[in-house]
Amino acid sequence: MSQKLVIDPVTRVEGHGKVTIHLDENNKVVDSFFHIVEFRGFERFIQGHPYWEAPVMVQRLCGICPVSHHLAAAKAIDQIVGLNPEDLSLPAQKIRKLLHFGQMFQSHALHFFYLASPDLLFGVDAPPSKRNVVGVAIEHPELAKKGILMRKFGQELIRTIAGKRIHGISAIPGGVHKKVTVKDRDYFLDSKEIPSIDAMINWAKEIIDFMKNYHEIHHQWLDTFAVYPSGHLGLVNKKNGFLELYDGNLRATDFEGNITLNDVPDVDYLHYFKEGVEKWSYLKFPYLSHLGREKGWNRVGPLARINICDGIETPLAEKERLIFKSRTQGKINNKTMYSHWARLIEMLYCAEMMKKLFHDDAILSNDLLRKGTRRNEGIGIIEAPRGTLIHHYEVDDKDRITRCNLIVSTTHNNEPMNQAVKWVANNVINGKAEITEGMLNQVEVAIRAYDPCLSCATHALGEMPLQISLIDHQGNLIDERNR
Amino acid sequence: MNETDKYNCLIFGIGNSGRQDDGLGWAFLEALESNLFKNIHLEYRFQLQIEDAELISKYNKVIFVDAFKKELINGFKYETCQSSNTYSFSTHALVPETVLYLSENLYHRTPKAHILAIQGYEWELQNGLTSQATENLKNALSFLKNTVLLKEF
Repeated sequence: MSQKLVIDPVTRVEGHGKVTIHLDENNKVVDSFFHIVEFRGFERFIQGHPYWEAPVMVQRLCGICPVSHHLAAAKAIDQIVGLNPEDLSLPAQKIRKLLHFGQMFQSHALHFFYLASPDLLFGVDAPPSKRNVVGVAIEHPELAKKGILMRKFGQELIRTIAGKRIHGISAIPGGVHKKVTVKDRDYFLDSKEIPSIDAMINWAKEIIDFMKNYHEIHHQWLDTFAVYPSGHLGLVNKKNGFLELYDGNLRATDFEGNITLNDVPDVDYLHYFKEGVEKWSYLKFPYLSHLGREKGWNRVGPLARINICDGIETPLAEKERLIFKSRTQGKINNKTMYSHWARLIEMLYCAEMMKKLFHDDAILSNDLLRKGTRRNEGIGIIEAPRGTLIHHYEVDDKDRITRCNLIVSTTHNNEPMNQAVKWVANNVINGKAEITEGMLNQVEVAIRAYDPCLSCATHALGEMPLQISLIDHQGNLIDERNR
Repeated sequence: MNETDKYNCLIFGIGNSGRQDDGLGWAFLEALESNLFKNIHLEYRFQLQIEDAELISKYNKVIFVDAFKKELINGFKYETCQSSNTYSFSTHALVPETVLYLSENLYHRTPKAHILAIQGYEWELQNGLTSQATENLKNALSFLKNTVLLKEF
């Protein structure tokens, strides 16, 4: 009998998602979908608020990456007060970047140690009772303790700069509201209360070594699982095309590395992107307009960023990037599971950059604010942990927001995640007489590699699980797994 | 943290003040902040996570304060928290029992732990507690101050 598989909710992701896989009477996959079933409407309810509230309000989209929303909104609001990113004082730029690196570091640590590592350490077929962060903590306590302290380091940096670990405030229109003190800085350098930034760099290197070894052992799976062609999109440094997380030009390539978006100013994004909609998901489908809906979609996030950049400015991360690139002979990497490795290289980059900024006395300066000539529109784009994040605001002459457009990282990854689900459906589940829990988990493993934040993507609030449903050719629900 | 601090008490307020009575945990801490109890540290949380195991391992006593959806006699209950490795693997959010379990297993420290559950009634996107929840909060505060905090700290 034909059937439909439903995974609802998808687990160990941020937010609530659902997968349905339609099978015919011979268990052959007919179609599959990754649905985002939450709706929140931040873009609407921020309308009418004064523009300076945006960096504070929009970070409520997320409890994991609020700093990303805070900074993207702040970059947009800077423009409304007449300032481009380079017009801010150097201390303000550096403090914002330091905050951003702390955020990336803790978010990547959260994803790798808490959400992704159970699949890698125990295998995708391990029982769910073991395949979780508590299982990791019990069986790999030293790894777990390092993961905890790495995440804590990033959170402490956020707390130091923004006042709170979640939903704090640092950026204000035209700069930041407070400097870093010598005491603040030394907290991260002297190892007295928390492990120092040098420990973070060493541990990031250790975990990359673990990942390289893991790839050596499991290369057959990692080199074939959820491999499919896609575009890759992200910011690159305006001067040298290197990895850039805070302010850069937009670059995209196709699956073979051909440039499809050639280092265009981020504020021109509207000229290049459109968003498609599907009736089965609240999440939109962005694509490069000149390539169309079918060919113009892109992955974003660590794998895309490492794919498109010309280099990394910090030496240790650059060395690791070159090793990473050598695995595909320098070509674009379309292997989904390499996202974890790329994410760890970014963790090392962030650690190195934090160290560099801790030793830069500019962050101790009181030169924090600039003023400009008022405008009515602002666009802020940064690279959030999960990928390219776009905030776009229009305001009226009474300082009220009249229009808001948010394209968050997970929205860019909507089509890539749907492709990942299709790959697993077609290559793991298709035609099998029995659908096992391990097979269903592989659907989630493929989605999880993108570290999706479904709350951000739909701007939704609530409990955060994922579902898989099995549906027959007549639309009858045959099986459903809730997590 | 210095040596004397090891004997302090940590109180978590868990919830979200933007969801009506889900803000009970935070409201409890806000009320305590004005009381200036010595040796009591307050931490606000949307949800407990694994790193909280590291934090509680540094304290001798921990109290988790959270809103509760079901009916409670007197509108609140105060009970011992027993460590447990039960884990809902759908997210990284943990329950107090698992945080305690992880503190035992990762850091070999088991603080005395209690849960103060306070009954709430409404959970929509709105600031402010309902009047019933406010009354329960008042009673829970009075209980904890008089029977635990004033005696021990």
